[in-house]
Amino acid sequence: MAHIQLDRVDLEFQVGAERHDTLKSAMRSGFGRRRTEVRTAKALKDLSLTIKSGERVGLIGHNGAGKSTLLKVMAGIYPPQRGTVVTDGHVCPMFEFVTGFEMEATGWENIRTRALLLGMSPKEIDQKIDGIAAFSNLGEFLDIPVRHYSTGMFVRLAFATSTAVDPQILLLDEVMAAGDAAFIESARQRMNELMLRASIVVFASHSLDVLPTFCDRTILLKEGRIVADGPTADVVRRYTGSASPRT
Amino acid sequence: MQVTIRDVVRSARLWHIWTRLGLQDVRLKFRRSAIGAAWIFVNLAVLVLSIGFIYANLLGQSPGEFIPYLTIGMILWGYLTSSIVDGGNAFVNSEGYIKQISLPIYVYIFRYFVSISVTTLVTMCAFVIVAVVYRVPVGPGTLLVIPGLLMLMTTSLLLITIFAHLNARFRDVAHMASVGMQVLFYVTPVIFPAHLLRQSRSLSLVIDLNPMYHLLEVVRRPLLTSGPADWQSYVAVALILAVLSAVAAGVIAVFQRRIVFAL
Repeated sequence: MAHIQLDRVDLEFQVGAERHDTLKSAMRSGFGRRRTEVRTAKALKDLSLTIKSGERVGLIGHNGAGKSTLLKVMAGIYPPQRGTVVTDGHVCPMFEFVTGFEMEATGWENIRTRALLLGMSPKEIDQKIDGIAAFSNLGEFLDIPVRHYSTGMFVRLAFATSTAVDPQILLLDEVMAAGDAAFIESARQRMNELMLRASIVVFASHSLDVLPTFCDRTILLKEGRIVADGPTADVVRRYTGSASPRT
Repeated sequence: MQVTIRDVVRSARLWHIWTRLGLQDVRLKFRRSAIGAAWIFVNLAVLVLSIGFIYANLLGQSPGEFIPYLTIGMILWGYLTSSIVDGGNAFVNSEGYIKQISLPIYVYIFRYFVSISVTTLVTMCAFVIVAVVYRVPVGPGTLLVIPGLLMLMTTSLLLITIFAHLNARFRDVAHMASVGMQVLFYVTPVIFPAHLLRQSRSLSLVIDLNPMYHLLEVVRRPLLTSGPADWQSYVAVALILAVLSAVAAGVIAVFQRRIVFAL
């Protein structure tokens, strides 16, 4: 059974230290020794949660509350400094559609590469590639390099490929969820199917009207902590109650 | 350490991902050029011909011996250089992947290892042509190139690992390494034969203590003479591999969990 378990997770970014450090300054301060001016930004603080198979969980909170960071911790992209993360099941993070796409490669090649990166096996790709091609509706254009595609064609290909995956644990970020309006009805439907196929969906979103239709449980984050966790309607009510007037 | 080993094993088992990405890197590098991968050969041919004939005369070497020596030396040198300089960017250039897709990061090390090694192996075809033209001796001893190549490839993998980690954290490292390799190029017997330096006792040390020389020799000597390299070279390479493995383990232990934050 797929599940996600986070236990007392702390995640901090060392602002300045990791990003702008040079060899010179490291030598000056002695390798490995922390300098006093290192600033740490705590993104997640002492965060524990359990998500069981079958759950569809929404994540809400203001910008910078830690939604994306939490998804990346669940995905195993950010290792936390303290605490443990246990995930059971194939995790498929989908924060955007396009990583792995090469402009010089053809549509067919890009489908294969992207599908592999999402965790499909070569055999699985062979089975699905015709379906992906059909949904993308690109026909002969799949034989030419993606460089020649229009933005719309490119999005169609990336979307068709990414949504063909069968994840056990699907992690979605708001970019994808919020993009709904731009997609035609069939794309919306395909997205719904993808979310229904997964055993667990965790879904960070700002669109409070979409959330209740998908998620029975919602977690409200504030400054890296869980401030509410429960039925979506209750949590959304609490969020809009406490939120600033503009949301 | 346990986590690292698990990640390396997981990465290795994702071979269909990193071989595909690595081979794609090789293909894409030449896709829009008119003669494609032939540029590898043109590049090498121009270098070898221009350096070859001038230095053969300058150093009083016969072109028949010197040009095959130079060709294989340049190829192998290129392999080590790109392992350090290009391989040093394995994580930096994979930032988009590392931050968006949850694959163990060694996948990107293997990806660069594939693209750099395949490029080198393709280039080695140029040596085959040169070897035929200049009638380089071939015999059962030539097969000793296989263990030599395996040693060199292991070195490449370790160098990529070390420099990818270091360079993700300290972006100066790739630049420094590139300068360092330029200096080493002039003290390593690549464009001049080793025996010219050996005429002086003190300069002889420059060769014996130069790890690059031994790394080249375990592949170059079997190819040129159809016999083994000096036993000292094999000992030296074994030592180099031991040291690099220790350094790689250290670098991984220190930086591994911080790579994603350093990008």
